[in-house]
Amino acid sequence: MLSQQENEILTQTAAGTPAGNYFRRFWLPAMLASEVSAPDGPPVRVKVLGEDLIAFRDSHGRVGLVDEFCPHRRASLFWGRNEECGLRCVYHGWKYDVNGACVDMPNEPPVYGFENKVRIPAYPTREYGGLVWAYLGPPDHIPQLPKLEWARVPASHRYISKRFQETNYLQAIEGGIDSSHSNFLHATVDAFRVTDSYVERVKNSANLRAKYHLMDKAPRFTVKKTDYGLVIAVRRNAEEDTYYWRMTQFLLPSHTMIPYQKGNSIHGHCWVPRDDQTCWVWTISWNPDEPLSPDDRDAIANETFVHAKVEPVTFRPLRNKYNNYGIDREQQRTTTMTGIHGFAAQDQALQESMGPAVDRTRERLGTSDTAIIATRRLLLQEIRALQDGHEPQAARQGDVYWVRSCSLLLKREVEFDEGARELMKAEV
Amino acid sequence: MDLNPAHIVTVTDFSRETLRNVIAHLEVSTDFEHLVYRESELDAIWSITGFALKSDGDPAQREALAKLHQGAHQAHDLVADRRPAQAAALLRRFL
Repeated sequence: MLSQQENEILTQTAAGTPAGNYFRRFWLPAMLASEVSAPDGPPVRVKVLGEDLIAFRDSHGRVGLVDEFCPHRRASLFWGRNEECGLRCVYHGWKYDVNGACVDMPNEPPVYGFENKVRIPAYPTREYGGLVWAYLGPPDHIPQLPKLEWARVPASHRYISKRFQETNYLQAIEGGIDSSHSNFLHATVDAFRVTDSYVERVKNSANLRAKYHLMDKAPRFTVKKTDYGLVIAVRRNAEEDTYYWRMTQFLLPSHTMIPYQKGNSIHGHCWVPRDDQTCWVWTISWNPDEPLSPDDRDAIANETFVHAKVEPVTFRPLRNKYNNYGIDREQQRTTTMTGIHGFAAQDQALQESMGPAVDRTRERLGTSDTAIIATRRLLLQEIRALQDGHEPQAARQGDVYWVRSCSLLLKREVEFDEGARELMKAEV
Repeated sequence: MDLNPAHIVTVTDFSRETLRNVIAHLEVSTDFEHLVYRESELDAIWSITGFALKSDGDPAQREALAKLHQGAHQAHDLVADRRPAQAAALLRRFL
């Protein structure tokens, strides 16, 4: 549980709020680079941290990210014309460059020189890992880009999807780090019941998750604070002398990695506040060694795992709350716990059902919620430290993001951080 | 009693034994991780006592249960405020 005040501190990210200030110390994914693919191409709306912005790629290929509204009469620059190194408001012709400077004001006499005095808010951007990242914080605290493995692999080794979710970002993160929900929400009915046929099917599986995940429904949680955030280690009984460990990273301010098994592709998320009631869910799959496999591409195309198909302009998933996420009650009765297709839609359905910003004073947590408690406490600690004048260290040290999640079997006497040390290092 | 602040106490009830175990762990907790575990245990006690309060029970015990429920909440907030020793002292009143 959290106090109402703590809940508000964590979930409100508009400019000037404590968490808003904190998020504004990091580079944040703002859009797919492909959304602004061509110089002088169409501008696009971007909403992040409660700010309505417009992105455009200018004639030189630079990506500008500016306030959506022209300061003259507050018309939206979304309707603007992207031309000759600037975005021109089509209402009265005022034009802005990628730095927000007004470079032309044709409806005012040149003698006034108004254009030299007008600026709109503009934020720095960087293209990195297939995304355009934005920094919305103070110019004297520009951070380093996080050295995330997925951002450094060739484009062929990576797939990124973006979806719109109607919850506060924190609700979404909490789903991402909550290892115990997958035993239920993402399970088949057979797996949930651990039927004989299920056990028979998975007993010789090379997939550790399939083999061990559901055999122990009450896993033990360990958290460790790190220089990038947290590693959340979840231990399940495996064989008589071994435990099955799954390590998830929470990387400040809002990245997570799903435990991966060596030899498979890796998956992760970044959850970016859009405003206090909605967020952007960035989902990344990558293979550090080779292009994504046909199986990976099939899982993406068929939405069987973490990616969801979305409407191209709004990025709202095609399975959404307005069509009950396509729930199939017969399938729920016979096959899967939810009757909803795909992990992404399953997560989104349950997280959105909690309302856009859940009242955490009314929760009933238990010891299986340790990862959620740790993440909240770490974020609160970081936010309060910034309020006291201490800049977030992770924002200044992109190298600390050089990690991987993992899952593995370890002898019962081996500590997870010893046994998994090599596996948790990124390589690319 | 396995007294290691890096281990989570299993909380399945709000018996004196459970409270003693949680208190003992509170008294030796210092690190961020320890306090997270203690907070989760107090969350669990608060949750279980909350469920018990909502069920039909002996009216004579309800008052004591309500006080423990409230005490778990206060202890939780003390741990959140990095004051585990005060949280332990507060919980001792319920032994």
